[in-house]
Amino acid sequence: MMDYINGETVSIVLFFTGVYGLIARRNIVKSIISLGILQVAIILYFISANFEEGAVPPIGDVSSSAIVADPLPQALMITDIVIGMGVTAASLTMFIHMYHRYGSTNWLKVKRKRMK
Amino acid sequence: MIDLYWMILLPIIVGSFSVILPQKTAKKIMVLLQVLMVLGSLANFYHVRVNGTVIQNIGGWADYIGISLRADILACAMVLLTTFMFLAMVLFNYGKSYSDNLFLFLFMVLEGLITGIFLSNDLFNIFVLVEVSTVIISVLIMYKKDTRSIYDGMLYLLINIVGMSFFLFGLGMLYKKLGVIDLFGIEKVLSTIEDPKSIILPYALIITAVSLKSALMPLFSWLPKAHGTPSAPSIISAVLSGLYVKNGVYLFIRIQDAFEPVINTSDFFLLMGFITAVVGFVLALAQHDIKLILAYHTVSQIGLIMMGINMHGTHTYWGGIYHIINHAVFKSTLFLTAGMIADEYKTRNVYNIHGVMKRMPMVGYATLFAILGITGAPLFNGSISKYLISYGAKGSWVEYALVLVNLGTILSFIKYSQILFGKAKKSGKAKCDILRKSVVLILGTMCLAGGIFGRWIVMIMFNVEFDVDPLAYWMKVLIFILSFLAGISIYFGLLKRNNFFALVNSFELGFNGVCLSIAMFFVLILGYVAIAL
Repeated sequence: MMDYINGETVSIVLFFTGVYGLIARRNIVKSIISLGILQVAIILYFISANFEEGAVPPIGDVSSSAIVADPLPQALMITDIVIGMGVTAASLTMFIHMYHRYGSTNWLKVKRKRMK
Repeated sequence: MIDLYWMILLPIIVGSFSVILPQKTAKKIMVLLQVLMVLGSLANFYHVRVNGTVIQNIGGWADYIGISLRADILACAMVLLTTFMFLAMVLFNYGKSYSDNLFLFLFMVLEGLITGIFLSNDLFNIFVLVEVSTVIISVLIMYKKDTRSIYDGMLYLLINIVGMSFFLFGLGMLYKKLGVIDLFGIEKVLSTIEDPKSIILPYALIITAVSLKSALMPLFSWLPKAHGTPSAPSIISAVLSGLYVKNGVYLFIRIQDAFEPVINTSDFFLLMGFITAVVGFVLALAQHDIKLILAYHTVSQIGLIMMGINMHGTHTYWGGIYHIINHAVFKSTLFLTAGMIADEYKTRNVYNIHGVMKRMPMVGYATLFAILGITGAPLFNGSISKYLISYGAKGSWVEYALVLVNLGTILSFIKYSQILFGKAKKSGKAKCDILRKSVVLILGTMCLAGGIFGRWIVMIMFNVEFDVDPLAYWMKVLIFILSFLAGISIYFGLLKRNNFFALVNSFELGFNGVCLSIAMFFVLILGYVAIAL
């Protein structure tokens, strides 16, 4: 049982929780939060996917140890964290603009006003 | 041969410096930059066409380790198309007041990103470029800060971020299984993989995102809003519809190629393409906003391109690729002219615009040429690519499906072409900027040139020789004339009196609905691949 609770499965569950939030929540802020959950799930997956017990970080003198951690997922995820932050900031900014125009945080109400 | 990264970085660097320059100088520099970009991509295209594929590893790393840029003939043709389109757009926008330095900066960055997606060979790099271009496009969509366009831009941004999250998650799983994120590295590793079942989940995640980007059937509802939003500048609509959607289709081609040894879903996507094409023109018939008709029509043409590239024949494949180029030309002409017409008539309702041919003759001719191109009239570019696609489909249901799709195209453009004829409310000719008129007219004439010299263009560009069988071609002409007559009789006999397609209009997906359709599509493709494998 405990074997199943690792980074991979948790991140898959988290990812689809985020997808559920996107489908089922009509609040725009909650949609943006769900996007954040998706990003966290992805980051967790990348970091934990190729994890090996006892691996050393690939910095400095690594010749003594046999296993060296794969540096690529970390490098990718730093980029992704930056992108995720930028994207969240952009969507929140746009949300504020939208809120000023439509006066609602509900997708349905906003859509109804847009269609008029 | 110009180093490939310059093709990506040059517009971004020049664009960012031009923000501090005075506006007039900045505009001149933009035109100069675009001319340089066209020349550079021509040189690259020539080099690749003569010497074969070029791969450049950035930072001098070994293959499959660093980020690599890869220019083969398809990528080079797309880059050439991009730079040419951007030259036309910058010229078209030369005299516009809203195109200030910030707008031009964003526009140039977009050019760099689109070129980057075409040239990039590394999936994570593609993810980054697509994500950044999503943000930039949503800013450009809502550039005029109109209430409706803010909703459209926001929807576009969020939906595409969701899609790209699927992409990145799939990429993570793929990296765990294969240990590479380089497209051609993946192809290489996949051909020796032992348990293909472990690839299903990452494949489904990635292809869902790519289908969203290329606006396939259940996932297209963001596209018409983004492309046809009323207040977006018409050059943005033209670039989005003409070029940016093609990024999705291009990624689709690349990813299908990479997964080919293990997973083959071309039958599925052939069917999806057909459904997309039909749904696209049905929805286009339901609209009365000229920009929305064009936007829904993009969906239909994407379906046609999908049918072409999923049929596995040399003819159909290159027909699909040639249709990508043709579609970029005529759809941007149509969007640009639609913008000019809407400016002149102060309305976008297709029933309230009459007599464009008399009032704005040059614009009218450009529109007419583009319409003839998109409907596949003989001698125009659409006819060549459609001929090529249907040539490979001989003897299967696809041949009849293509006739049906073309009938739908003709129907919706009979509706659209009503704006050209009739009597204008105001007499006399409208004043238009000479530069804009000449840009749309040149693009319109390219539709004709692409048809007359189509065979040579395909031969020179892609090194694919084909003979136009005169009998088959005349058959196509006959089918075109018949479907044209059928289209006229159906439209004026039935639809004009009672447009029952308008019922579809009331059906519109919100954000949650689109997310649901993404999830459903994901489950569908997962199930299909799991059963088919």
